[in-house]
Amino acid sequence: MNALELVGVSKTFGDCVACEDVSLAVRKGEVVAVVGENGAGKSTAMSVVCGLYKPTRGEVRVNGRALEPGSTRAAIAAGIGMVHQHFMLVPPLTIAENVALGAEPGRGPIFDRKKAEDAVAKLSKDLGFGLDPRQLVADCSVATQQRVEILKVLYRGADVLILDEPTAVLAPAEAEALLGTVRTLAAEGKTIIIISHKLREVLAVAARVAVMRRGKLIATVEASKTTASNLATLMVGAGVDDGAHGAGAKGPPKDRGERVALLRGVRAVGDRGLPALKGVDLELFAGEIVTVAGVDGNGQTELAEVLTGLRPVGEGTFELSPAASSRDAIAHIPEDRQRRGLCLSLTVGENLALGRHRAKGLTKSGLVELVDASARAKLASDLIAELDVRPTDASLPASSLSGGNQQKVIVARELLATPRLPGSPKLALVVAVQPTRGLDLGAIANVHARLREARDAGAAVLVVSLDLDEVRALGDRIVVMAGGRVVAELPAGADEAVIGRHMLADGDAAHG
Amino acid sequence: MADQGGTQVTKGLSARSFSTRPGVLSVLAVASALLVGFIAIALAGKDASGGYTRMIEGAFGSPAALGETSIKTAVLTCTGLSVGLAFVVGLFNIGAEGQFIAGALAAAVAGHALRLPAPLHVPVALLCAAAAGALPALVAAWLKVQRGVHEVISTIMLNWIVIYWVHDWLVVGPLRAPGAISVSGTAQIQATAELPRLLESSRLDVGLPIAITLAVMAWLLLGRTVLGYEMRAVGANPDAARVAGIPVARRLYLAMGMSGALSGIGGALLILGTEHHYPGVFRTGYGFDGIAVALVGSGHPLGVLAAALTFGGLRAGATRLQLVGIHPSFAELIQGLAVLFVATRALFAGGLDRVAARLGRRPS
Repeated sequence: MNALELVGVSKTFGDCVACEDVSLAVRKGEVVAVVGENGAGKSTAMSVVCGLYKPTRGEVRVNGRALEPGSTRAAIAAGIGMVHQHFMLVPPLTIAENVALGAEPGRGPIFDRKKAEDAVAKLSKDLGFGLDPRQLVADCSVATQQRVEILKVLYRGADVLILDEPTAVLAPAEAEALLGTVRTLAAEGKTIIIISHKLREVLAVAARVAVMRRGKLIATVEASKTTASNLATLMVGAGVDDGAHGAGAKGPPKDRGERVALLRGVRAVGDRGLPALKGVDLELFAGEIVTVAGVDGNGQTELAEVLTGLRPVGEGTFELSPAASSRDAIAHIPEDRQRRGLCLSLTVGENLALGRHRAKGLTKSGLVELVDASARAKLASDLIAELDVRPTDASLPASSLSGGNQQKVIVARELLATPRLPGSPKLALVVAVQPTRGLDLGAIANVHARLREARDAGAAVLVVSLDLDEVRALGDRIVVMAGGRVVAELPAGADEAVIGRHMLADGDAAHG
Repeated sequence: MADQGGTQVTKGLSARSFSTRPGVLSVLAVASALLVGFIAIALAGKDASGGYTRMIEGAFGSPAALGETSIKTAVLTCTGLSVGLAFVVGLFNIGAEGQFIAGALAAAVAGHALRLPAPLHVPVALLCAAAAGALPALVAAWLKVQRGVHEVISTIMLNWIVIYWVHDWLVVGPLRAPGAISVSGTAQIQATAELPRLLESSRLDVGLPIAITLAVMAWLLLGRTVLGYEMRAVGANPDAARVAGIPVARRLYLAMGMSGALSGIGGALLILGTEHHYPGVFRTGYGFDGIAVALVGSGHPLGVLAAALTFGGLRAGATRLQLVGIHPSFAELIQGLAVLFVATRALFAGGLDRVAARLGRRPS
């Protein structure tokens, strides 16, 4: 019998068909991956499974029994648990309190903290997580928070786990550990569905891979009988530019131009008031992409903020060339797109103008400076078409877009808007922090191409990424950050193992 | 308003960001409030339909009634815009009442003390009121920007500072009319400072056209100007606005300053239009009602105007309820219910979406 079965599930929102006639059967103890581009319907299909959405047609069966549609309570009772991409934790509570939240042990109104802590400690030990149930979630790293999320669904007795892009926020070593956890859980008889973009991981852990495209499940293939490029072809429906994840920078390294940024011994404090940059030495040159590798939290974010003028320099020398001194000449793709990149309640069109809204081409002068609505609309429709933002209606609020499409809005605005606006300066400096996080293969290739275009047009480009494939694919020069310093500079296409060694060796020493 | 029909984004992006949906919800909320109010009066054993008839007569039934409604509508439009404009940048200005009083007093003083020809005297008095209203609001903005003091706390406290200063000191002390019979209140304003009346038979004055102009100006500011766009961005996400190079603190000052100025002008309209001096006892509640007007108007300047007309009519008509033995506080009940229903609009929203889906189009 199948542990979980989707039978002809369709879900429409108004005129928009999010998923259509999706049928998928998963056996007990099996790991199945669901892959597809942004907006292919993966998350919608899985939201139907866990009762967040009521399917327009079709049904979900657990152990052969039909599940009450659109009821999260029924889904939980049937043993379905979902670990969302964006964590749903309460930071000021402890790990045990978070795990027990909503299913607290105890007598009547009295919360039996000890019982919860013991249960969490046992679950954690069984999985080799090594968590302290009394630690505050606010003090946990992202990887630990994800483990708490996994414990949360297991604590509720889930037999079917759905993981939505679980490795998107993890460093390579952490992602490896997570895949190990998935294998352990499957060996214990849990059924696991992983939604992911990362085909290599998918192939490493899943028995079967279901491929979705434009709302339909178009193929289910055995992982052992396919390859990443086969899957990619299925996902996008045609051959993809392999350069996106291939080794080495595209094209011959150009002669680099003038120096755009100079940092000597730069120190800066982080958000918590602790030193984040502890003497960074770095030079950026026009016509060159520098990628920054490093374990998350080793000063990459703060470096990007210093370069874009958002974080003051405590000590040391930081100079920008005259070409990069105007704000309009700097493009910034921030790490946290919802917090810093977008105004979610404003429209897509308004977000596409954010930060460039005072440019001459987007305003009309009157008694006061007026918004040139038609110029903005033109810019919006051009950018939406060029980066394939879906849905294409610029008057929708940005909050209605999926995470991947929100990222496209930011990338389009930062990299493409300025060159189109008359009277704006050329882009001199591009600072992109994890520019392709949460994007699908087609979109990643597109963003990489745009970053290379910006380089070829004479900008100095700095890309911070946690994905070593990306670091190696894009960088004309690779720098490794650890402990708030640049600890290594490597040539294009440097070996992954070499980069990893620098990331870890010095990073650990500096953490002490 | 914005063209909702076109599928392409060829017009008025910024205007389009104001959606029609909150408006429909507000109308439903007011209608529900009137219905529940009706039932409440009937349950109290009174003649509800007679009361409503009198109330409508008292609000719209004669030139005199229209005059009363227009005065109240004008004042509520100002305080509603005041609260709404602060909302735009994400600030909750509870200080409209204090700013209103400060503006009213400034208008009374300027109207009495200055000697100016009529075409100048009214605008100058209004400007003085705007400045006086802006002052406490800017103090709250400064505390917010410099010290991180929450504006709800600071504006409430500033309300009391202004109220006690004015009522317990200024109008019974230094600004009290010399030789007046009453114990308090400022001297009468000059005839040149009085708002011109538009009709012989009613108190309808230029206050309403002024308030409508202010609402339209606010609408254009938010929808059409770069400044308004920046203010909305600050309200939507100050972090993203800062990253986008928008001077967040300056926009907060600007919005709070304009907010306070609008409340101040509201106070001035009442003084220059009907009171003609600052009376000894002047607890109007117009500032607090501005919060209700802004909520029901869902922050849209033209919605504020419509909500102000509704509440202005309620206020004007409420006195007539007594003619059939109904306590006028039932009008306040209706106003409170309208706010309650707007605040719980999620209850309506689901039904609204279903109706819209049945009509075959998606509300946005």
